[in-house]
Amino acid sequence: MARDNPIFNQFREHSVAEFFRKNRQMLGFSGKVRSLTTIVHEYVTNSLDACEEAGILPDIGIEIRVVNGDHCVVRASDNGPGIPQKLVGKALGMMLAGTKFHRYMQQRGQQGIGAAGCTMFALITTGTPVKVRTGTGTSKVYSCDLSIDVKTNKPKMLNEKMEEGEMRGLEIEGEFGEVKYDKGEYGPLAYLKRTAIANPHAQIKFKGPNDEEVLFPRASDAIPERPKEVLPHPLGLTTSDLVEMAHHSKDRKISSFLMNNFTRVSSGKIGELRGLLPDVNLNAKPRNLAWADAEKMIDAFSRLRWIAPATDSIRPIGEEQVKKALVNILNPEFMSVRERKPKVFRGGVPFVVETAITYGGNSGRHTQSGVSGDVIRFANRAPLLFDAGGCAITQAVKEMDWNRYGMKEFDSMPITVFVNFVSVHVPYTGAGKQAIANEEEIVGEIKLSVMECARELQSHLRGKVRAGEKEAKKKAIMRYVDQLAKDLVELSGTGDVERLKKKLVKLVEGKYKKKIEDATLEEIAGEAAAAQLEAENSKNEGES
Amino acid sequence: MVMIMARKKDAKALEKLMELGKGMVNEVRRGKSPNFEATVRSRSNVKYDESFGYLRLGKRKETRTFVNVGQARKFMQTVAVAAKCKKFLDEDAHTSIRGLFYQLKYSLGEDVEDELFTEQSESNPLIEDLEVALNLKREDLNLNTDRKGVVAGSMRVVDRFGGEETTINCAKQGRSGWAIPSDVDNNMEITDLKADYVLVVEKDALWQRLNEDKFWRKEKCILITPKGQASRGCRRLINKLADMKLPIYVFTDCDAWGWYIYWAIKTGSMNLAYLADDIATPQARFVGVTMQDIVDYDFLGKLTIKAKPVDLKRAQEMMSYPWIARHKEWVKELKTVMKSKKKLEQDALQGPRLSFVGEYLKKKIKEKKLLP
Repeated sequence: MARDNPIFNQFREHSVAEFFRKNRQMLGFSGKVRSLTTIVHEYVTNSLDACEEAGILPDIGIEIRVVNGDHCVVRASDNGPGIPQKLVGKALGMMLAGTKFHRYMQQRGQQGIGAAGCTMFALITTGTPVKVRTGTGTSKVYSCDLSIDVKTNKPKMLNEKMEEGEMRGLEIEGEFGEVKYDKGEYGPLAYLKRTAIANPHAQIKFKGPNDEEVLFPRASDAIPERPKEVLPHPLGLTTSDLVEMAHHSKDRKISSFLMNNFTRVSSGKIGELRGLLPDVNLNAKPRNLAWADAEKMIDAFSRLRWIAPATDSIRPIGEEQVKKALVNILNPEFMSVRERKPKVFRGGVPFVVETAITYGGNSGRHTQSGVSGDVIRFANRAPLLFDAGGCAITQAVKEMDWNRYGMKEFDSMPITVFVNFVSVHVPYTGAGKQAIANEEEIVGEIKLSVMECARELQSHLRGKVRAGEKEAKKKAIMRYVDQLAKDLVELSGTGDVERLKKKLVKLVEGKYKKKIEDATLEEIAGEAAAAQLEAENSKNEGES
Repeated sequence: MVMIMARKKDAKALEKLMELGKGMVNEVRRGKSPNFEATVRSRSNVKYDESFGYLRLGKRKETRTFVNVGQARKFMQTVAVAAKCKKFLDEDAHTSIRGLFYQLKYSLGEDVEDELFTEQSESNPLIEDLEVALNLKREDLNLNTDRKGVVAGSMRVVDRFGGEETTINCAKQGRSGWAIPSDVDNNMEITDLKADYVLVVEKDALWQRLNEDKFWRKEKCILITPKGQASRGCRRLINKLADMKLPIYVFTDCDAWGWYIYWAIKTGSMNLAYLADDIATPQARFVGVTMQDIVDYDFLGKLTIKAKPVDLKRAQEMMSYPWIARHKEWVKELKTVMKSKKKLEQDALQGPRLSFVGEYLKKKIKEKKLLP
């Protein structure tokens, strides 16, 4: 079955190693810094998914040591369900054998390259196998050195051991070449920090070279609900999706394949489809679906009227969880979190946008030259570190008129904009899967959501400015209290300077305390009116 | 006797200052922001009062309070000025308003990071505020102004100053005359006044001329020159002499500046409207020189000067002032100036012979050829 996949066909012509080298870019192994971050990403994502599936609160450890030159040792450990001995090879030593590949549900990675890709990367850059140790909580601990037979794409286990011991979870350690440890925004630490923000239920411990140790503690004990597996909606499909699914289908006819594997496809719709596609044989075997016919079908799908897909397959992080995570990691002075209602793009793919803006604390990007506004992007909780320029999230934030929200200096403010794009189908721009396509509906929705957050931050900042002004006024008057008290006693020939000072201080403080309270009420009324106006404005903006 | 009088005079100012302070302290004790109220001194609040015959302040008041960010500094400064003046009175020491400014600059700001008085222009108006609010002159607060003006004539001044008493005989001041001090009220007493009128001469040169001619002795008058615009002390002295029932005659050039000097003596000025009750002398009359003089004295016709634009502009403006417009004689005089575009200096009267000035004045005063 796998042999019919065009990608697998290539395996026959080239060695797996060669395939890997040629497609490094696509697999996330381009550039030394990025390669290391990808390795960390693969291991952490595996752990998070495994824990989630098993209902375990994840405890994840990542350790990186620089060996020499561009060689690093990465050690990843978790407290997940572990891998049974007979599945270790398949899970970690077989390219493209991950369980994610054919499932249509919201997933972190969707890459499918997984830990096996890392095993392969270790092999081709250093020639060394990865060390695996795992237990499933059955007082047996299995360990081995794992590599891949590059000719057959089969896992090779060496030094297999089965020991007595209490262990549940997985430990993998590998030495990788052509990598570089980076402390900046593209490095493993930045990746883990963002992962912690999007996964408040996880605890992540990081140990880097030079003994740097960072702990991202768990912020919430709520394990995320498993997303529901749903059938795809015809409108969200691309030609290659359709071809790929058809070739894996056991259905006898294309018509039944469509009805069994997609939502909202009824026999009535098949009839309509036949009318639109007289020269495509919907009674043919789906395994033999040709690219050209698939293309015609996708085009026909877009011309039919469909019932929109169900949106309950989407599981955002949730407002409360995002708040907890942001407090935990960024410790902001202020934050505003928004979760929008599900929307669809490309006419049929449901998605949800979750956004947050934090201000102060550790918000913003802190560099040697100071603080700047930061945008942290996620797709299904997975941090997107690279290709920011071409991403819908970046575009939406960039297009916003920050001036209107009193944040003209966005570029030098301690602000973090958090955006999590949630969907069963994330429209990545490239094989690197680090940027979301600039679909109009997506950009618009992100913008609206970020605007709502920005509005809240604006009133917070306004209040701050006002309180600051009050404080400044109070201070300005206070400066004269000592002098005035002295002069009043001199002038009147009565009274005591110290007592008079105290009275005057009380007087000034009393006045400005009262004023602040009054102002707050005014402010609330004013804000309400302003918010309404803004809402109307943004509505117009959304329509235009 | 001397000391008792001194105490009594200063006591009035001292009392007022202390009352001001006590009122403020009481406000603070009652949990209120202390206030300072004074009549507004701006031009918009200066009115010509027909019943008094001079420019006075209107009723508009201005209050400044401490617990107000826009007024706190000024309020504090006002109290600082008042406290300083109280100290001067306590110590019986006098200074100028510039001296006060330096005292404030020196002693303030020990507890504050910034300067509380950066320029004298900050303290000067506060002094005037106090003068208005307390109905006092700055001289009462032991603040002197520059002396300007000279007097000669048959009168004596008893000056109690620096713990000593001196009697000045204004008839025995030789060629220089007695310099009019800034304060002619406090510890000053005019005695043995033997005169029929007061003659105020704009220019010192003419005053010297008349002094040399013994004009004041022959004519039984008090001869004063303000040396141009009259100072506060000079105006106050003229006012006091008028109160002693002496007619006041003013002798100036026939031009803008001369008229201004006359009207400032008579109806007061915008800037000092708040002191008008003490320094405006509406009884004053204008003796010359006038446009009519050119008609009456042929030789003057040759001694006129071309009027400058400022003179003509001023003449035009003056006709619109209610306190001038009500006098048809003045309107006629000014119209003549406008028409002839000429002006005349008092010095021109020395044309025929030096002592002619005296003859001229004697004749005009005797024949009451005066402008109101």
